[in-house]
Amino acid sequence: MAMESTLRALVSAALEQTAVPLSCEALSVRFGRVEALIEVSVTIAPGEQVLVTGQAASGKTTWLKCLAGLQPPTSGQVRWGSDEVARLDIEERRRRQRSFGMVFQSDALFDSMTVLDNVMLPLTKRQVPRDEAVERARAVLERVGLTAAQGKRPEELSGGMKKRVGVARAIVAQPSILLADDPFAGLDPSTERSIAELLLEVSRGRTLVTALPDPVASLPLRRVLRFEQGRLGSVA
Amino acid sequence: MIRALGAFGLGIARLTGALALVLARTALNLPRLDRRELFRSIVLFGYRSLPLALMAAMLIGSTVVLQAGVYAVKFGARLYTGWAAGYALTREFGPLLLGLVMAARIGARNAAELALLNVNGQIEGLRGISLDPFRILVAPRVVGSAVAITCLGSVTFLVAVCFEAVSSYFSLGLPLRVFFDSYQDMLRVGDLVGGLAKTLAFGLAIALVSTVAGLRAKGGAVGVGQAAASAVVLSCAAIFSLDLILTPFLTRLFG
Amino acid sequence: MSALLRIFGAPAILFARTLSAIRQRGVDRRATMVQLVEIGSNSSLLIVSGLAFFGAVMVTIAWAQTRKYTGNITVVGPAYFELMLREFAPLLVAILAASRVGASTSAELAAMSVNEQIEALELCAADPIAELVTPRFIASLIALPALMVIGTVAAAASARLVVTIVFGADGSAFTDARFVDATDILCAFVKAVFCGAFIPLAAAARGLKAKGGAPAVGEAVTAAVVDASMGCLLIDFVVAAAFLLIGV
Repeated sequence: MAMESTLRALVSAALEQTAVPLSCEALSVRFGRVEALIEVSVTIAPGEQVLVTGQAASGKTTWLKCLAGLQPPTSGQVRWGSDEVARLDIEERRRRQRSFGMVFQSDALFDSMTVLDNVMLPLTKRQVPRDEAVERARAVLERVGLTAAQGKRPEELSGGMKKRVGVARAIVAQPSILLADDPFAGLDPSTERSIAELLLEVSRGRTLVTALPDPVASLPLRRVLRFEQGRLGSVA
Repeated sequence: MIRALGAFGLGIARLTGALALVLARTALNLPRLDRRELFRSIVLFGYRSLPLALMAAMLIGSTVVLQAGVYAVKFGARLYTGWAAGYALTREFGPLLLGLVMAARIGARNAAELALLNVNGQIEGLRGISLDPFRILVAPRVVGSAVAITCLGSVTFLVAVCFEAVSSYFSLGLPLRVFFDSYQDMLRVGDLVGGLAKTLAFGLAIALVSTVAGLRAKGGAVGVGQAAASAVVLSCAAIFSLDLILTPFLTRLFG
Repeated sequence: MSALLRIFGAPAILFARTLSAIRQRGVDRRATMVQLVEIGSNSSLLIVSGLAFFGAVMVTIAWAQTRKYTGNITVVGPAYFELMLREFAPLLVAILAASRVGASTSAELAAMSVNEQIEALELCAADPIAELVTPRFIASLIALPALMVIGTVAAAASARLVVTIVFGADGSAFTDARFVDATDILCAFVKAVFCGAFIPLAAAARGLKAKGGAPAVGEAVTAAVVDASMGCLLIDFVVAAAFLLIGV
């Protein structure tokens, strides 16, 4: 009994860090009368690096959240590998979500915690011992250039700094699937370039899906999807 | 400790000042109120609150009867249910409870809407094109919600009385006529007017307090939430204070 | 009725999920303490002052009433005290707590939801229910009975003081517990516990669902406060009726 559960824990730990293909079929999401996504079908292979472009309210954010299992579809399916996300029970879905990291459009930092605690949270919640968590968090903060700010609270930071904390928090647990929703908004060109470099470096060999209003030079991803009013347009 | 008390006192002073200001500016703007906004406020706060107020009135009425029933059963005074219930309702518990429930809803809604307009800069914007936000937006809402709550109060009071009669019948086996006979004997117009006066005062208080809370909001979504939450608390506090001031006054006036 | 479903439906589901979160991830003691202090200390002022005012008002009415019919206010003292302890105080405390705790909890959670923080929690391998709802639920369960006791004391003390000082009669009748028995205390306690369980669940249910920017926050708070108050009214009625039917 004990060995079986240990085995199961080992297998699921291994599974957590394995990137699986993300796919959606005829995915539609409706909020009341607003159709955010209309019949979107696309597959993203493990380790693929995809850029998603489109105007505001074209459905990019909703689609990213569907991929991450945060937004249930109104109709259609989202699959992780061969499993339909909507059919997973809550605990199973939460376990699989550990492979994801996401940079949110609104930063979504936790106001009651310091920058360091914010970045450490994904680690402490994955039962990483505190010393190791502090070390890894500090390393990532150094990488985004925010070591000096680690004791501050989000309300004391500028917009660009908050974005960088969001990126740090998303990558600290080394997720196999990294989603970034408008990560360069409000950043000056040099900060944009360093964050873009960071995203590329961290996601080498892993899946990366970035949503931006338009393609940018600093993030030359080969595959580009374009959303228009909830529909998926050209697939390059 | 002294500093905390001082800050508290200062906060109360500032609040009272803001309330007085809103009241004064509303009164000054009375003849020139924007009629469409006034009508809209009455509908929003009155008509749309009606289902909730009715449901609350039914529940409160039944609860008061239950309470009076407990009292009556324990002391064998069955025939006086009408008296006990009517008295408790008109004078005190009914309007108080209803006021608290409606303060919560209307206060929160009013504060949230005004906070949203404030946080989005629309109130400043109105001033920018030399329109007085008070005349167009704030004063009509204050008057509208006060009027709405008073009408609501009277309608729901009647409903509550009927509901009490019905639930007395079922719970204590009291024939309806006995209920209303004793009710009329021991209850006078003065008491009804008193209950109504209280409802009007509550309505005005809720309107003023939630307006001040909404106009003071700053800070996006968080600010709106905080404005609504503090409006709820302040409205409840205002109602209790008014209750304390008005009750002895009304008692002396109407016996 | 559909209204019943609307008020109790979502909180019931949240209740089930909170219980399973407690089973799976336990209880964060420090977060619960923080919420306990937040609920307790922030609501105490409102409840103490509110109930004290109510006690004074109730006694004023009793004074006017008895002067007309029996002339002696001390006669109704013990009866009013029992009714206060069993019926008036629990209901008032519940409504006040529903307004205050309901409003602030839903405001906080709705702002977090609208700012994508709830989703961020999910992707930080945390369970938003375990982090945000469980501490508030447990804290409210403990705090509400305590607040009820504080409120009852405030009302009774205020009643006694007003009778003694303002009306010059013997106020001790209004803190005379001779009619109070164990079932009265149990009735009040049951109401407090059920309302204490319901209020944070109703507020969290509305707050966590908020989507769409600042307007959604306002709507969530308004709806939460209504749900919480109406739910407490219903709970109070059901419990009072049940106790009356059983014959206590």
